Amino acid sequence: MTVAVFFGCTFIAFGPALALFVLTVAKDPLRVIVLIAGAFFWLLSLLLSSLVWFIAVKASNENDAQLQKTLIIFGVMFSVLLQEVFRFAYYKLLRKAIEGLSALSEDGQSPLTVQQMAYVGGLGFGIMSGAFSVVNILADSAGPGTVGIFHDSQYYFLTSAFMTMAIILLHTFWSVIFFDGFENKRWWAIMAVIATHFLVSGLTFLNPFYEVSLIPAYVIMVVMAAWAYFTSGGSFENLQHFFTRKKLQ
Amino acid sequence: MANRAVILISLWLSVCAANSVERKIYIPVNATSPCVRLLNATHQIGCQSAMRGNTGILHLVANSSDLDWILSDGPNPPYIAVIEAPAFTRDILMRLKTNPRVSGVFLLSSDVPPSTNYSPDLKCPNEYFGVYTDDYGAEYLACNGTQWNPHGNSLSYEDFPFPVFNLMNSNESDVIRECYFNHNHPVNGTAPPFPLCAMQISAHMHGVTDTPTCMRRSSAQGGLSLSQDVMCDPLSDYNVWGSFHPVNQTGQVSAESKFIIAASRLDSRSFFWNEAPGADSPVSGFVTLLAAAQALRKVTDIQDLPKNILFMFFQGETFDYIGSSRMVYDMKLNKFPIALENIDSFVELNQVGIGAAIWMHSDPVSRRNETVNEEVVDLVKNLQEGGTETNLSLHEPSHTQPIPPSSFQRFLRERNIPGLVLTDHETAYSNRYYHSTYDTAENMGIKYPDNLSSEEKLNFVTETAKNISRLATTLARGLYRRAGGSSAPEDIEADPLLVSRMLYSFLIQPNNSWFESVLSSDLHTNLDKPLTFYVAVQSPVPVTRIVQQILGNVTGTVTNLTQENCTNGDQTLKGSYSYFWIDGDANKTESHCVQAYVWLTKAQSPAFHLKDYTSRAFSTWTESRWKDISARIYLVSSKQLEIITLVTGIGILALSFLVTFLLSSKSDILFSTIPDTSPAAY
Amino acid sequence: MNLERVSNEDKLSLCRKYYLGGFVLLPFLWMVNVIWFFREAFTKPQFNEQQQIRKYVKCSGVGLLVWIAVLTTWITVYQTLRPDWGSLGDYISFTLPLGSP
Repeated sequence: MTVAVFFGCTFIAFGPALALFVLTVAKDPLRVIVLIAGAFFWLLSLLLSSLVWFIAVKASNENDAQLQKTLIIFGVMFSVLLQEVFRFAYYKLLRKAIEGLSALSEDGQSPLTVQQMAYVGGLGFGIMSGAFSVVNILADSAGPGTVGIFHDSQYYFLTSAFMTMAIILLHTFWSVIFFDGFENKRWWAIMAVIATHFLVSGLTFLNPFYEVSLIPAYVIMVVMAAWAYFTSGGSFENLQHFFTRKKLQ
Repeated sequence: MANRAVILISLWLSVCAANSVERKIYIPVNATSPCVRLLNATHQIGCQSAMRGNTGILHLVANSSDLDWILSDGPNPPYIAVIEAPAFTRDILMRLKTNPRVSGVFLLSSDVPPSTNYSPDLKCPNEYFGVYTDDYGAEYLACNGTQWNPHGNSLSYEDFPFPVFNLMNSNESDVIRECYFNHNHPVNGTAPPFPLCAMQISAHMHGVTDTPTCMRRSSAQGGLSLSQDVMCDPLSDYNVWGSFHPVNQTGQVSAESKFIIAASRLDSRSFFWNEAPGADSPVSGFVTLLAAAQALRKVTDIQDLPKNILFMFFQGETFDYIGSSRMVYDMKLNKFPIALENIDSFVELNQVGIGAAIWMHSDPVSRRNETVNEEVVDLVKNLQEGGTETNLSLHEPSHTQPIPPSSFQRFLRERNIPGLVLTDHETAYSNRYYHSTYDTAENMGIKYPDNLSSEEKLNFVTETAKNISRLATTLARGLYRRAGGSSAPEDIEADPLLVSRMLYSFLIQPNNSWFESVLSSDLHTNLDKPLTFYVAVQSPVPVTRIVQQILGNVTGTVTNLTQENCTNGDQTLKGSYSYFWIDGDANKTESHCVQAYVWLTKAQSPAFHLKDYTSRAFSTWTESRWKDISARIYLVSSKQLEIITLVTGIGILALSFLVTFLLSSKSDILFSTIPDTSPAAY
Repeated sequence: MNLERVSNEDKLSLCRKYYLGGFVLLPFLWMVNVIWFFREAFTKPQFNEQQQIRKYVKCSGVGLLVWIAVLTTWITVYQTLRPDWGSLGDYISFTLPLGSP
């Protein structure tokens, strides 16, 4: 019967990502490639950070709880940093790709703009990151039991799914802002992306107080969404037009 | 979130069995023993779960309203009945068995035995496989003369459609009770809100229906079947036998040689798998026999007696006389050095640990034969002389009473041998906990003064040990007289300390310095937990080998062979001896090699040798195989929460598609100020 | 294969091959025949070979129904009665279910 929980959580965590993929990415092979490559770059960052963390744990005293706690915090911060480094590497790669694509195309323009690539690549980052953070939880949600026998919140599955949804969307917005920052040399935007990434990852240390980490994460997500919207050509005027369904002259 | 990812990946790297999420959800219950499925020619007995285990809401059965809650009133079936030891009765279990709202039973056992009798075995053990048949003593058929185990409730022989587990660890019991009282305990007849505490019990049995079905499927002779899975194994082990005379292992003894067989059984059982403390049955019997063997060893002319004394310890007797029926079968086919005709007489020790009086049972049907009757009278006289000397009261029950269930019955089926079965009961068993988990040292009245260390307990001679050594002395003298011994039998005296040590080691703590000093080192690894006397399917079980080596110790001699020669020397050089290498320990014994006439013979029912799985003459018991035996507790959320989660998920999915569709179709409006982009797909 | 690009004679020979093939205990060929050539046989405007194709499709359909009936009956009988057949039931089974009669 807890198959219901499994599907519920899967839809919550990956519903938005699926919709975005199906309606905006899947039709264009080039976008699919950019998405997969983005996911691959995130995986590379994870591989590297887990390797470092693994070595650190093996090298340290495994029975020292305090040290292990410190190591985890260090590991998370290091992992965030690595993810941003790989986001930058991916940006560099895409810039090169755009040059090549422009040369190939007939009108001398790349079929995808940097912003579009940022969005699709960010979605790839997010999907892979989300998959890794929630796949174990989803696997266990299909079993007969639910979390709570150690007095944890019984909403664990639900909050984890919502957190994953936020992470996926955040990665998308972060990539848009991040790429735009490099395009237009807006260093404070890049700093803001890294800082909020640190902040959101740090929030998970507040678990098991899931509400406390979930609400700020969603606030940050909304802020990032707005920011990403404005960096990619949005404005209040456009929104107004959108809601009044009037076409811009 | 990122930290979780890091942890997860590193867990994958280090190949961790249970991941952190699983540990948040489930508490495994480890110290359990299951009831498993056994099969015979016609039936299946025991317990069974579904392939992935049975799940259910826990409900503690403390009174009858709790039982009604499970059987009819509770709103959230199926339930797993958690039963405290006193409520584990036939009445309650049979009510649970037939109710579809029950998915399992979990017993929280205690060390305190019930005040009334409790035996899950049959009222008439091994009913159809003894000597009494339509053609032989038909008036005694089916315990018609005497009901041996009148309080037996035959729970062990019921077939339950759900798993039944026994939990022996009080800490884990407390965890389960706490989980129940925190989450499930109804207040004023209403169920508390979700989440509720639930349990999953896995004990899926592969064998099914009966032994013929199971053996047929296991062997898959021809047919279309692609699988070669063995689904059940015959219950089997090894019999132990030994003597003071050398007996050639391969040949046959001459027809003139006469042997007095002194026998006992080695196995027991209970409702649960591999849980058989077996104090009165069988430990009291074989310990007496071992002590008698040690007493006889001291006699100088023991090797020159006109008749040889043979010690036999039969395995699997609980399950329709596996060991003795195989021994008789081998004797008939000349696969055993001694033929049935070589047997002069038979003395068997059954349950002898409770009470001071000993009863000598004999078979009224065979005593109708005058010569046999004279021999039996003579045997009784031999034993009673010893009894008078040792001040042990030995009685004969009524001569019209049948012989109790015993290995001797299997010999009587083939030949009219004069023999006695010694027990501590005149009619019905005096053992109140026959073949149950309560047949422990306390049941035999073994008590130690307070504050003794385990080493002091080992060397403390209890009253029970004194009684048993008195019986052992009596038996040894009786056997000596019967064998035609001439020197003064007053020198034959069993050692109470040895008896006390054996009782302590077999019943209370096998991991002790005495066992270490008499057993070979490869056996030491089996001594961590109290010994169990279930015959099992992997053989030989530790008990068989321990008894073999102790018999070797008390009947054999120490030689100066080196370890290499002792353990794997040339068998032709050794002749009919067997050898055990005993590693000494630093402070007491030196390493040495024991040489004795002590052997193991296969104790597997002839039915499996004959491939006659529907046999009515031989035991057909098999034990089903299984893959996983486990239990764990966890919380379950309400159906409402599950549905809410699913609906939320579907809602978010639908909303995402709607919003994305709107945004992407109106992207030209939303993202329109930058002139150099084609309509982006935001 | 796209039937649109096949000549009518080839269609007939193909349909015939599938129809005959079905007799070698291959009811799936009949099923394919029915589904594949249904439109050719019954909904397409008339052409020379249609009459014969229709015959083959009809016969294939009948054969398929017979097979379905026979198999359904056998599977039902086997599933419900196998435990009662004892050793014969085991003998004719490819996989023996663990722990069920």
